[in-house]
Amino acid sequence: MTPAPLVVVEKVNKHFGDLHVLRDIDLTVDRGEVVVVIGPSGSGKSTLCRCINRLERVTSGRITIDGVALPEEGKALARLRADVGMVFQSFNLFAHKTILQNVTLGPIKVRKLAKDEARERGLKLLERVGIADKADRYPAELSGGQQQRAAIARALAMGPKLMLFDEPTSALDPEMIKEVLDVMVELAAEGTTMVVVTHEMGFARSAARRVAFMDGGRIVEMASPEQFFDQPQTDRAKDFLSKILAH
Amino acid sequence: MGRARWIGASLVAVALTAGACGSSDDSGTVKGGGQTATTTAPSFAAGSTMATLQAKGKITVGVKFDQPGFGQRNPTTNDIEGFDVEMAKLIGAAIFGGKAADVGSKVSFVESVSANREPYLQNGTVDMVIATYTINDTRKQIVDFAGPYFIAHQDIMVKASDTTIKSVTDLNGKKVCSVTGSTSATNVKAKAPQVDLTLFDTYSKCAEALGDGRVVAVTTDAPILGGLVSTSNGAYKLVKAPFTDEPYGIGVKKGDTAFRTFVNDTLEKAYANGDWASAFARTLGKIGLDTPTPPPVDRYTTTPTTAAATTTTTK
Amino acid sequence: MHVVLDNLPAFLRATRVTAQLTVISFLLAMLIGTLVAGFRVSPVLPLRWLGTVYVELVRNTPLLVLISLFVFGFTKIGIRYSYYASAIIVLSTYTGTFVAETVRAGINTVAPGQAEAARSLGLTFSQLLFAVVLPQAFRSVVAPLGSVFIALIKNSALASTIAVMDLSFLGTQLTNSTGRPVAVFMGSAFFYLLLALPSGWAIGWFERRVAVKR
Repeated sequence: MTPAPLVVVEKVNKHFGDLHVLRDIDLTVDRGEVVVVIGPSGSGKSTLCRCINRLERVTSGRITIDGVALPEEGKALARLRADVGMVFQSFNLFAHKTILQNVTLGPIKVRKLAKDEARERGLKLLERVGIADKADRYPAELSGGQQQRAAIARALAMGPKLMLFDEPTSALDPEMIKEVLDVMVELAAEGTTMVVVTHEMGFARSAARRVAFMDGGRIVEMASPEQFFDQPQTDRAKDFLSKILAH
Repeated sequence: MGRARWIGASLVAVALTAGACGSSDDSGTVKGGGQTATTTAPSFAAGSTMATLQAKGKITVGVKFDQPGFGQRNPTTNDIEGFDVEMAKLIGAAIFGGKAADVGSKVSFVESVSANREPYLQNGTVDMVIATYTINDTRKQIVDFAGPYFIAHQDIMVKASDTTIKSVTDLNGKKVCSVTGSTSATNVKAKAPQVDLTLFDTYSKCAEALGDGRVVAVTTDAPILGGLVSTSNGAYKLVKAPFTDEPYGIGVKKGDTAFRTFVNDTLEKAYANGDWASAFARTLGKIGLDTPTPPPVDRYTTTPTTAAATTTTTK
Repeated sequence: MHVVLDNLPAFLRATRVTAQLTVISFLLAMLIGTLVAGFRVSPVLPLRWLGTVYVELVRNTPLLVLISLFVFGFTKIGIRYSYYASAIIVLSTYTGTFVAETVRAGINTVAPGQAEAARSLGLTFSQLLFAVVLPQAFRSVVAPLGSVFIALIKNSALASTIAVMDLSFLGTQLTNSTGRPVAVFMGSAFFYLLLALPSGWAIGWFERRVAVKR
């Protein structure tokens, strides 16, 4: 008996006005699995990621998380989102709160954790991502890489079943990318279920169990990293890889 | 008295010809001197104010433009109407000859508000002021007064069903309405120290508050209350327990005793021949006031101001 | 100026009334305005609608009309408060619309990513509004809210038309009893300034203090 997959995306379509950004997407993510979504910009990979915790509403199709279909905006959806961590390209740390307050807000407000306990756990998480010394600083006082690590700690603080990463390193200066990827690799190694939208092929190769290649709103190829990078099946994947790896 | 009443512009517009207009009590009692109005212009001593005005063919009078019953602009005809205006025309007729109704443009009106009455007299903008102008000693130091030609009384208005309030002392401990900054408020406080005053910016709000039961009485000059009663469709009544005397006088330039005497003479003639009473009936009578006995004029002797005395001696 | 000095205790009393009227009304207006701003950005359509109707109806009616309507009109349908309470109710209801619009403008300055991050953590709409969006929105509208406050100091003068003994009430009263309108109104203006100027400084200080570091 294999356990039911954590995330099931079935026949999902998404339109922005006349723009058809997701076309008949089917995707499952098993527990403990890391799925990396790659593809050229405009291929719909970020939108797919945002649809999974319903920051975007799908036009048709169905998404379930742990067997529960995504509800409409409201309390039930809020409960469900609490179990799905999200890391954004632009960090989106709460500008008026310190790093530690950013990390403890969710546990206190949503999980109703006591302040002291939330604080203690928050500090541990900050230590784990290597910025415990920045706990009382404001986001604007941190470098991009530090901010993104704080954002990861904030998401982890909720004890999520699933972590979504929406291009987490795209807004970073090159020298900061590694510090963030290191944290992500560690998470993957610990068996965290992750969906990662990224351009970091190195990360995809080393941490992903499966790679989904998207183009024109469709998942064009779905394979293990070895197979995808060494023997891409489609011309579009070959074309994409040749451009990426050329430099 | 007679300050803050920019108020009930609406009051007089609705002037009902209430049956109260008195031809009754007094108008014939003072018949005297036997002089009949002449149509030829009277003659005056050369150099007197009367002679100067007659030669100029025009007298300028400061009146209120917003005072129901006394001096108010008629919104339809744009004319200034009221008892004060009628007094001005009587004096105009005495200078230029003819009837008061026919003086026409020889009597011109300038708006006088409470604050500019004295300056207007001092700088000659007006030749006299007839503008609900209460005679008092402070003012007598700056201007001189002919008259009084009317005594205003402060009265009380209550709901028609009220039988508890019969005089000003009954207002102690009661909620009573008047207008911010009016002498009415000061007067009632003096007579009924325990009164609980509610002060609005207009008397029409007082009438509303009386109707809503937030106050049990409204107090100010009888003419204003008369207007409110006449528009209340029988909801309110006047207690008719007057508790102040505010003598309204005609302000003239300080020291012009000849002109003041002339105005006083003119008033007494109007008392005697019924012109004063008919002027009252045409104006204040229309808002429900009974025509009273005209007040005796006060020919007081003027005292030279100390300031003037010092200046003459030092130079 | 003797008129003012002779009546100094009265002026101080009236200044206190104006200050009380302003501060109480402003606190209530902030409450009303924040709530209504929340309504106007809420995902619930009837709330958005309610917020819009309230703002457009009250904001576009002259304050003097609102005061008279409340005191003389509502009394007749059984809604009756003391004149002082009525003044506070009307002033806060009226000022609440301006607070609502100001706060709404502030909400629009908060980056959408902030709300998205809050939603991703599982915060409900009201939680994200009060914990994440509003605290940042207020920081960007301290100055315009200060203008609303100063406007309220001056608007409170209309309470004098319904028997509330504030600075304007005293001004009218003294003008008539002393016959010195210029001195009296300069006195009133001075005491209004005494309230408004320090408010302006306090607002500036507060704005610098809470400025979000970006």
